[in-house]
Amino acid sequence: MKQFGKILKFELKNYMTNKVFVGVTVFLMALLVVVMFFPRITESIDSGEEVATEDREVMLLVAEHPEIQTAFAGAFPEYDVRLFEGDVSAEITAGKAECAFVLDGLTSYRYYVNNLSMYDMNTEIADEVLQGLYRMSAMVGSGMSLEEAGAILNTTITHEVQMLGKDQMQNYFYTYIMIMALYMVILLYGQMVATNVATEKSSRAMELLITSAKPVSMMFGKVLASCIAGLTQLVAVFGTAFVCFQANKSYWDESGIVASLFDIPLELLVYMLIFFVLGFLIYAFLFGAVGSTASKLEDINTSVMPITLLFIIGFFVVLFSMTSGNVDNLVMKICSFVPFTSPMAMFTRIAMSTVPFWEIAVSIGILIASAVGVGVISAKIYRIGVLLYGTPPKIGNLLKAIRKA
Amino acid sequence: MELEIKNIYKSFGEKEVLKGVSLRAEGGKAFGLLGRNGAGKTTSIRILMDVFPANSGEILFDGKPIDYSKVQFGYLPEERGLYPKKKIIDQLVYFAELKGMAHGDAVKSVDGWLERLGMSEYRNKRLDTLSKGNQQKIQLITALAHDPQIVILDEPFSGLDPVNAMLLKDVVKEQISKGKIVLFSSHQMNYIEEFCDSIAILSGGKVVLSGDLHQIKRDYPRNRLVIRSEQREKILQAFPEAKAGEDGSLLLKLADPGRKQAVMQRLAAFDLDEVRVFEPSLNDIFVEYAGGEV
Repeated sequence: MKQFGKILKFELKNYMTNKVFVGVTVFLMALLVVVMFFPRITESIDSGEEVATEDREVMLLVAEHPEIQTAFAGAFPEYDVRLFEGDVSAEITAGKAECAFVLDGLTSYRYYVNNLSMYDMNTEIADEVLQGLYRMSAMVGSGMSLEEAGAILNTTITHEVQMLGKDQMQNYFYTYIMIMALYMVILLYGQMVATNVATEKSSRAMELLITSAKPVSMMFGKVLASCIAGLTQLVAVFGTAFVCFQANKSYWDESGIVASLFDIPLELLVYMLIFFVLGFLIYAFLFGAVGSTASKLEDINTSVMPITLLFIIGFFVVLFSMTSGNVDNLVMKICSFVPFTSPMAMFTRIAMSTVPFWEIAVSIGILIASAVGVGVISAKIYRIGVLLYGTPPKIGNLLKAIRKA
Repeated sequence: MELEIKNIYKSFGEKEVLKGVSLRAEGGKAFGLLGRNGAGKTTSIRILMDVFPANSGEILFDGKPIDYSKVQFGYLPEERGLYPKKKIIDQLVYFAELKGMAHGDAVKSVDGWLERLGMSEYRNKRLDTLSKGNQQKIQLITALAHDPQIVILDEPFSGLDPVNAMLLKDVVKEQISKGKIVLFSSHQMNYIEEFCDSIAILSGGKVVLSGDLHQIKRDYPRNRLVIRSEQREKILQAFPEAKAGEDGSLLLKLADPGRKQAVMQRLAAFDLDEVRVFEPSLNDIFVEYAGGEV
């Protein structure tokens, strides 16, 4: 136990004095400060200034009635809508205009644009405008007064949602961020643990370490140190974001997404922490064990592939289920009990749906037992692996050796 | 202090590496563990240090099964290596702490050893900025800083220049005089002959020879004479059975050791530089015992 403490301290100090580790953390923190202060900064720069007319892109309109221009100008405030007659294609290719609508009547038109952007909504807007104009003229034509027709067309329906479970939309974003963070941290830190072990082995410091400390202490010390380092980094980065968000809260009011990010219920935060730590541990142990079987640093990339693959598959199952909106499908239910996928799958289900408490408890129980089990097995692989040089051992031989050890 | 290894067997998979190894080493004396590459020396050392268990056999310390929580080992592995990118003081203190020292004591002890080996100026440098010989001295500190009862030195002299070798000899002698058990493993026989009172030769996982080095030498049949003379040719004529040695001396094998005196009298007729009874060097003994299985 005393040894474990020393190893933990030593490994932790390695992370905290590592220039890259500190550099990346500080960079991310600085980046988030800038992001969080962005609305305040932009607002102070262009406080209240409207976009100047001459800065707006030009939209050409070929139409018979000038009131159509008024309607279009109202629907496209970001454009300088001009009535035009002649060849619109030449104007657009010459760069004098961004796009053009050539109306054949109220029910059909041609839209001219140079590069059609993925997010170009202009035709949808135009459809609506023209539809309104057409209906209006049809109603007025059949004897209705302009006011009556306007009132009918502008009728709005009021509605109210009574939510009994979870708001998937609101929870979606921080679930997404947590899954992404877990994904990145596990792959990055897992690789670091594997490299750390393999470096000790290739520098032959292992010869001395293995005679000085118990493999279980070594394994748990290393993995827990990386876990603490990872958590510290996350807390530092997201903590900065949170503090800066609080300072700029009023500027973010319009953006519901960002506000929802920082509005995680405490219960979910606790689950996030539990699943994060356990998921991290179980993978870090595996990465450590794999690192110990590699003789050279070059071997690591191929050796860790099966683990990485397993993790990525789990990640995508969760991600697809999240985007499909059905997080309680059969695959997700199974995944939320399998220890290697449950940190992501179960957390997603908790966050985006209603999961009975016993399911959560069982999932966490399985995860804890597996993490300890994988840790002990990894320590055994480690003890055998670190003394083997040459080609990495086959899994079958390794298992045989573990049973004997 | 006394360390005894009794009848150790160990196999890795199908391969039997140790087939009943027994050794006995005493405090205040150095013990030489010899053997060709792959004879089982490192495996024996690892079992002794509890890196992995033996299949059978026991290890006794002062007559009782060894208690690893009480007995401290110092180990200089043959494959040297520490953390190349770390500050020397940091890693030395870390290793001393792993061996159970408190932080303050570890720093004090490590500083003492750095001073002793003339390495104080490198205290805060990174290990990979040092020359190979100096790195080896640093490695030696990891074996000695925590003042272990049993010191295991695997090829301690390889890579050291003569001055550093002298320094290391002094350190080793000092450890022996402190009454520690010093286990030596080396292929440089001259060092073994210089330090070790008893030896064991491993070959193919078995101890093929063990015991007091002087006794082993005395036990060789004393039936050969080494003759060194300017009149080699004449002596060869008088004793056609004599063989010319590589160094210009002659080796005369006596058919009957009892006739030594008579032969010596006959030799007295020549102008002799040296006549002595041939005693095998450790090198000869090693080749004889360990050279068999190739």
